[in-house]
Amino acid sequence: MTKSSNAWLPTFLIALVTTVFMMPFIWLVVSAFRPEIDILGHLSPLTWEVIIPARLSLENFIGLWQDGFWLPLFNSVFVAFGTVALGLIVNSMAAFALSAIEFPGRGIVFAVVIVTFLIPFEAIAIPLASTVRSVGIDNSYTALIGPGVANGFAIFMLRQFFLSIPKELSEAARIDGASLFQIYWEIYIPLSKAPMVGAGIIIFLFQWQAYMWPLLVTNTREYEVAPVALAKLIGQYEYDLGQMFAGAVLLAVIPALVVLPLQRHFTQSIAGTGVK
Amino acid sequence: MALRNSTLSQRGEQSPPGVAHAKSRKWGFAKAAFWFLFPALILLVLFRLAPVIEVFFDSFRGSRSQWVGLENYWFLLGSDTFLESIRVTLVFNLLINPLQVVMALVMALLIVDGARKPGFWQTLNLLPVVVPLAISSIIWGIGFRPDDGIINAILKAVDLPGQRWLTSADQSMMSIIILASWVGVGYWSLFLVAGLHQVPRDLIEAASLDGAKYWRTLWHVRLPLMRRPLAFVLVADTAVNLLLFAPVQILTNGGPLDSTNLVMFDIYRNAFVFADLPLAAAETVLLLIVVMVIVGIQFFMLNQRNPGN
Repeated sequence: MTKSSNAWLPTFLIALVTTVFMMPFIWLVVSAFRPEIDILGHLSPLTWEVIIPARLSLENFIGLWQDGFWLPLFNSVFVAFGTVALGLIVNSMAAFALSAIEFPGRGIVFAVVIVTFLIPFEAIAIPLASTVRSVGIDNSYTALIGPGVANGFAIFMLRQFFLSIPKELSEAARIDGASLFQIYWEIYIPLSKAPMVGAGIIIFLFQWQAYMWPLLVTNTREYEVAPVALAKLIGQYEYDLGQMFAGAVLLAVIPALVVLPLQRHFTQSIAGTGVK
Repeated sequence: MALRNSTLSQRGEQSPPGVAHAKSRKWGFAKAAFWFLFPALILLVLFRLAPVIEVFFDSFRGSRSQWVGLENYWFLLGSDTFLESIRVTLVFNLLINPLQVVMALVMALLIVDGARKPGFWQTLNLLPVVVPLAISSIIWGIGFRPDDGIINAILKAVDLPGQRWLTSADQSMMSIIILASWVGVGYWSLFLVAGLHQVPRDLIEAASLDGAKYWRTLWHVRLPLMRRPLAFVLVADTAVNLLLFAPVQILTNGGPLDSTNLVMFDIYRNAFVFADLPLAAAETVLLLIVVMVIVGIQFFMLNQRNPGN
């Protein structure tokens, strides 16, 4: 309808808006790849060299690595992907039971899942952290991964999709003697790539965004996740600005690499569940 | 909501064998269903339901776990810090949520109404939301520095006076609104793009892209039809912003002069700085009630979107 010759005006405007939104990224990336002493140069008076580096350098990344940032970075990646792997299995199994199996009390169980989805995790993180500490499982991957695995929203989303799978498929399989687990694993899961990707991204971002929870349940370097490590750095009186930027680039690039290639699935599952 | 006819056992019951067989089969399914549900349910109970119940009971206890009734709640209602924190949280939400919705709507309209390569722009503007909020906070915090921050450098380059941003009680909340909006606007516009695509084509066919007619159609035809997605985004955004924590904890510690002491941070401070867990529990209960009502409305709207199920 509108993608005609007069498309230049909205295209120009959205390009302008997007450029403004991208400026912090450009500044972030440029700063990370230049020598630390150049980061706060060119500000007064302001010159284009602020975003066009005269010298490139990897010293910030090398310094970050030597200061042991690889460990919190590994922790973040391990926790996020571990949670996704466990979460996809656990949530899709629950969604299968709530859509393809009829059993007494199904409505009640589904209502419980919905209630848990209404409880924002941040709000209960503080009391839960006290409990986790009192039973002595703080400073462990269990404490970091545990709260992210079961996800009421992921269950809800997968169930909505499972309900749309034609029942004839599973009936035919049952007549052929397939077990419920085979129906789940060999029919439902292979048909559900898009919602599984959507659920995976939701779980991944929950963990990659996590800040308050890891802050509360870890206080040793061994289990520190990357955002907490960087935030602690900025709390110190003196810190290496270049390393801060280098760490921030890594934490921004990893989720972008994970989510952007899959963005279509993400958009579809989020928007499809939310506003259709 | 359940598709009763689409499930296995229902079909089983309809087949010849008879009622007794169907019943035993139903319980067989129940056993199988239990094992499918067990891992998710146990985790949801441990990490979502149990803490809510625990925090509810803790809120009626004192520092030595003795029963104190509503004392923690009365204390909160008489505490200037708490009331100020509520006021700050309310002002923050009344400012940031409408602002983000309007900005997301503008972005969505630009993307839907004729920009070339809409997917490209949408993807780019989605980037800020995948970056951990703690990291965005750190980067913006460096940019906001009054003396050597890039934002003041840009202002001075166009002959505007530098501002004090996070270090001033008058500007700290605005600074957090700017950074949180940078994170959220692209994400929320995603929902509005989906909503705009749902507006029937023939209703807007007559409208041309430019001129007064475009604005008339937008105001009288499209926006009224967008009421639901707009309300959904407003409610969902509110639920997120009521719980905002990382920027406050990393950048301002609630200050200066408690000007950014959002209620989530106030709870954190009561629990870990003042070590008053029962008081933090009472505060958490109040916050939970408010947020759960809001998220409940959000879920209700979300569910109504799928009348087929």
